[in-house]
Amino acid sequence: MTNDFKPHFEAVSGRVLGELLPGERAAISYTAERTAFMRFNNGKIRQSGTVEQADVGVKLWKGSKSWAFQLGLSGDIAHDDELIAEALGQARAAMPLLPDDPYQAVPEAAEASDARYAGTLLPESEIPARVLGPTAGLDFTGLYAQGLVCRAAANSAGARHWFQTETFIVDYSAWLPNGRAVKSSYAGREWSDADYAARIAATRLSLQNLDKQEKALAPGKYRAFITADALNEVVTFFSWNGFGERGLRQGESAYIAMREGRETMSPKFGFSQDFTLGVQPAFNDDGELAPEQLVIVKGGKIANTIVSSRTAKQYGITANGAEEGEDLRSVAIDSGDLPEADALKALGTGIYVSNFHYLNWSDVQAARVTGMTRFSCLWVEGGKIVGPIKDLRWDESLYNMLGSKLEAVTKERHLLVESSTYEHRQVGGSYLPGILVDGLSFTL
Amino acid sequence: MRSDLRRLLDAAQAAAREASWLGLRRRRTSASYYMARDGAFDQAISGADDGVMVEVLFNGEFAYAATPDLTPEGIARAAASALACARAASGRGVHRFDHSVRPAIRSRYETPRIRKAPVAPDGVFAFLFDACGALKHSDEIIQTTSLVEIGRYDYEIVSTNGADIEQSLFYMGTSLQAVARRGDVVQLRTANGPRGLTRQGGWELLDVSTLLADARRVGAEAVELLGAETCPSDRRTLVLTPDQMMLQIHESIGHPLELDRILGDERNYAGSSFVKLSDFGSFQYGSKLMNISFDPTIAGELASYGADEIGNLAVKQLLIKDGTLVRGLGSLESQARSGVAGVANQRATSWNRPPMDRMANLNLEPGATQLDTMIASIEKGVLMRTNRSWSIDDYRNKFQFGCEYGTLIENGKLTKTVRDPNYRGVSSTFWRNLSAVGDASTFAAFGTPNCGKGEPNQVMFVGHASPVCAFSDVEVFGGGK
Repeated sequence: MTNDFKPHFEAVSGRVLGELLPGERAAISYTAERTAFMRFNNGKIRQSGTVEQADVGVKLWKGSKSWAFQLGLSGDIAHDDELIAEALGQARAAMPLLPDDPYQAVPEAAEASDARYAGTLLPESEIPARVLGPTAGLDFTGLYAQGLVCRAAANSAGARHWFQTETFIVDYSAWLPNGRAVKSSYAGREWSDADYAARIAATRLSLQNLDKQEKALAPGKYRAFITADALNEVVTFFSWNGFGERGLRQGESAYIAMREGRETMSPKFGFSQDFTLGVQPAFNDDGELAPEQLVIVKGGKIANTIVSSRTAKQYGITANGAEEGEDLRSVAIDSGDLPEADALKALGTGIYVSNFHYLNWSDVQAARVTGMTRFSCLWVEGGKIVGPIKDLRWDESLYNMLGSKLEAVTKERHLLVESSTYEHRQVGGSYLPGILVDGLSFTL
Repeated sequence: MRSDLRRLLDAAQAAAREASWLGLRRRRTSASYYMARDGAFDQAISGADDGVMVEVLFNGEFAYAATPDLTPEGIARAAASALACARAASGRGVHRFDHSVRPAIRSRYETPRIRKAPVAPDGVFAFLFDACGALKHSDEIIQTTSLVEIGRYDYEIVSTNGADIEQSLFYMGTSLQAVARRGDVVQLRTANGPRGLTRQGGWELLDVSTLLADARRVGAEAVELLGAETCPSDRRTLVLTPDQMMLQIHESIGHPLELDRILGDERNYAGSSFVKLSDFGSFQYGSKLMNISFDPTIAGELASYGADEIGNLAVKQLLIKDGTLVRGLGSLESQARSGVAGVANQRATSWNRPPMDRMANLNLEPGATQLDTMIASIEKGVLMRTNRSWSIDDYRNKFQFGCEYGTLIENGKLTKTVRDPNYRGVSSTFWRNLSAVGDASTFAAFGTPNCGKGEPNQVMFVGHASPVCAFSDVEVFGGGK
């Protein structure tokens, strides 16, 4: 495959659109990447290699029938032409056998965009030495990934969108023999040995807090400062049974009580979908653009929801460029007035939560979530760090955590870029503050 | 097809002559997915993918390059890339491997199927619409969804030391869901959990009469839950049906026994394990009633296969025997690193990710207790059905799981239905409190196609079969803010 996927996308989308028969319309989404991966355990290499891949998704509409297909592509356009032609033929054979699609939403958006972010990445042969070099003596574990990632969309109404970025990420943790660890990451487009070394030096410093006697806390309610890294796990719950319009109308959302005015979050709490973060494109798989910024919760109340064109068609409302799954993208939580430097002082006595782990619903309708503390969570007394805690399970309604129990939100926010690599290297990220919560419920 | 892959192996070998071993692992995937919502069309999607992972061994270090370009030139480029990775990593690996962890086996496996010819899309949607109708028990049902997913995975593996493996796995998954609402109370009920009804087989799995009966029960139970009290909060005996046992086995036995987790590979992502390498052979994991098997030979269970993806032949093994831990979930690489006996479970989500230790079919063997006898022996308990929530710590110890549907057990009888039942505990304590294991009449197999693990991330299909089981002295509780 190539390191310039744009001509491939243009050829693929040209093939699909060029093959359309009268009355057929299509939307095309495209992903491609060339990635170098290196996985580490205990400062050594566990697995390493490269992955090149490209996929096209096609939605095809004719009359009241709808069909979609997803194809892995070879990169060789002559071969991929044949794959596409065969898939279109199968679609045409199947579509007459389908029931009518009552909420068919054929995109009418016809905008175009082209965003390219070049990076300065490590020569692949130097990855082991330059990633592991500064970590000498550490039990260093995690993943390095670097390379080009592309996203694109086109449709038969004329939309054409291209997004590519060259990025790297070291997603790592450093461990002490006592089983405690500091989790961190170093990510961006321009690799800097100096910046990376500084990040590792900060990790070494943080590890000192963990080499103290572990405090085992009894279940109960504790004050807690939840860092941006930990809060990022909670952001998942704004998409999963979240603020999508379909879920709210069809009983699957956790925020029905909020929508109906029976619950609110704190006046201090709000968040938006904000593509000005620049970490992922605002176009969706159908080539529709989301607004650059969309306020979802303001002053603890729902201001807008995430609406796909399909949901909009079903309920006669206006779409806002959402993907069909109505997940939130590029979440930015509003900042508050607590200086991050004063977080421990404001916490007083309680738990400094560096990371959460494995969250899930205890009761969707009560927006109640359970999860674990993980990595370098600390016990704090009188604003001073005492030492690490033995990990605890918590169980709390988000109407409490982000509502009646929310005491403060930090002034500073942190951009946390997406590290997920399921199927593809994902794009995206969140811009988050830390929060201070009074009386978070710990259960086990 | 094999001759093509052999020809590509030659091209790879020519491009990476310094490799002491080289293998190609091809994976083709095709799938179709049909979904109805509220008795109307919602989605019809097909998919196909094809690619090869070239793997080389150089100076004791494995490295890979994955490509969908299956021309000799494309494979040669990938081989050169993999060799360059291995060379760069040389001397820095976690273990100095040799090709004994890539055995030269020959193996063929194909999912047994009764009905191979596909049902046409109009036939599938006729079933999906009927299912939505059956789920719509009353006007209090505000959403119904039904789904059929069918697909196949074709594997081919060849290597320079003579491995020659072909496998074709066929699967079908069905999902049935009803959401009910009365006032402020909303309840969701499914047939055996999200995608739990996923199994290997052919179109015989689209057993319409059984599935429609399931749909009617699911819709009725969703409405029934609206009038139920919330589950009480106390300690009592907990009885779990197989569609919750699958999750209990998966999270609190499967993941902790993965040798790569115990060796620390997963510490930055999915987590480690409370189990230590020194525990194998002596650790009392659960009560004497507990026998856990790794069994990739059960026809129809989701993760049955002939060999794993590094060429280790798959056979049934007991991991826990009479409550004692005897064997780990680790294939040849982890066995070489740890010195612990394992199984054939190094698997990958597709051609674009390297294989690692995975669950396959991980089952709890049936016991001798009839269900009626089990219930009759319980003075105060609750029976919970169908997983809906799962959370466990990174050492796989402190867990909290939730179910869709509960029934109180009072003085040896099943009495009132309760909603939002949850329970929490600590893995080893929980399994030591295993007080009764149901007989074969209570045994059922389910599967999940979406177990996440690994860096880079991978999802995997796994199967779990179990009888109904009872656990004493468990903390249970209900919902609410």
